[in-house]
Amino acid sequence: MMRRPASVLLSIVALLLAIDAGLLAAGQVRRNEMARTLPLLHSMTAALGLTDLCVATEARYTRHPAVSDPVVPFMDHPAAMEHFPTGSFWTPTIRP
Amino acid sequence: MNAAFEKHCNILDYALSALWRRRLKNGGILMVFAAVIFLVASFQLVTSALTETAGKVLAAAPEITVQRMSAGRQEAIPLAYGDRLHEIFGIRATVPRIWGYYFDEVRGANYTVLGVAPDMPQADGLGKAVSGSVPWPLGQGRVVLGRAAAATLELQPRQLFSFFRPDLSLKPMTVAGVFRPETELLTADLIAMPLADARDLFGIPASQATDLCVYVANPAEIVTIAEKISKILPDTRVLTRPQIQKTYQVVFGWRSGFASVCLLAALAAFAILAWDKASGLSPEERREIAILKILGWETSDILALRFWEGGLVAGLAFLLGITLAYFHVVFGGAALFKPVLVGWSVLQPTLSLAPPVTLKEVLLLLAFTVLPYLAVTVIPAWRAASVPAESALSG
Repeated sequence: MMRRPASVLLSIVALLLAIDAGLLAAGQVRRNEMARTLPLLHSMTAALGLTDLCVATEARYTRHPAVSDPVVPFMDHPAAMEHFPTGSFWTPTIRP
Repeated sequence: MNAAFEKHCNILDYALSALWRRRLKNGGILMVFAAVIFLVASFQLVTSALTETAGKVLAAAPEITVQRMSAGRQEAIPLAYGDRLHEIFGIRATVPRIWGYYFDEVRGANYTVLGVAPDMPQADGLGKAVSGSVPWPLGQGRVVLGRAAAATLELQPRQLFSFFRPDLSLKPMTVAGVFRPETELLTADLIAMPLADARDLFGIPASQATDLCVYVANPAEIVTIAEKISKILPDTRVLTRPQIQKTYQVVFGWRSGFASVCLLAALAAFAILAWDKASGLSPEERREIAILKILGWETSDILALRFWEGGLVAGLAFLLGITLAYFHVVFGGAALFKPVLVGWSVLQPTLSLAPPVTLKEVLLLLAFTVLPYLAVTVIPAWRAASVPAESALSG
């Protein structure tokens, strides 16, 4: 007997959902690991007085966006151009 | 109930057969659609992971940071400014900080050098963040390195290295330890040393500091005390902890250049798909609808058929796109975005991202991608299905 097209589709969707469930479960394991290191990160942040995550280190306004001038890419000299690639990913900080 | 279910199963079977007949076209649409969803979902996952991490980790950031501004730039702040804050009731402590950047011209690396004051809160717990046993507080001339900084300096098996002071004299330093890997998102490029050593390295006079950290007795008063500091020290920029935490909700917005490009690419791809669908059905598709109507299909059946076809393509593309995006961000370290996220940085942390996946975000993405596609698929089909079969067949 020939399989109905709908059952083939159902198999594909079920496979994708099973992969998703597996990925989410593995992601949750990582989130739990990160949650366990949070007290250590808190004590480090407090003891070193840290204000930023270390993601990009090429420019000070993307290394320390929290304590940099909002318009710093254009403050290095008059008519300065923004030339760091990270400047295209990170928006300027607009503080309330 | 069973009859209606069976009818939809049959329509679904027919829709799948119809999609398979035009598999090249539909496969292409599915791939492009999945790629668009992958791009948008990946950006959303990266930014939500970083925003969440920043919000959690920076909950212990200094309550108030005071920076002196001069001619629109941050300058060293006189320690006497700290004395002027004593009159504000509610301030628990004012701690001067010395920190800055050291650019290594040989390696092209930009280290963050941080002087560690012994009177910072929880300073005695810092030893736990360093691999091995390091006597804490650090002795004079001893430093702790972030893992990326240690790797870039290529010190093994040496423990000694030197940096230039502003007058180009050499300042020797001894590596006391390396920060633990799980702290890399905070410390990758960090070189932590005693406050006096940082002052010596940067040539900052004893009467000045980079900025001041102010700690208050009651966290509910942070904003009030920050306002008082602004009045007493008008030439300073006063940053509060809530502002620092909010920074990361702002810096990864859809208004950044890269995000705009992602969004515009997604919109352009979607507009092409929508244009293709909304500009009407092909003569073949019209003929197919006419034949189905002659065979006894009603307009509602044809709409259901088109709905299933559109829903299957969009739904599968959504599932495929979001699955690939999650894999890309969580297990691939957002490899496609990393060149833009870290730019030309020589010192790079190992990005270990674990974004939260909430129903709200999934539904939002679904609403922006799948629903409009369904609309542009069903509307032209409805227009064609309402035309009498004879006129559709005659062309």
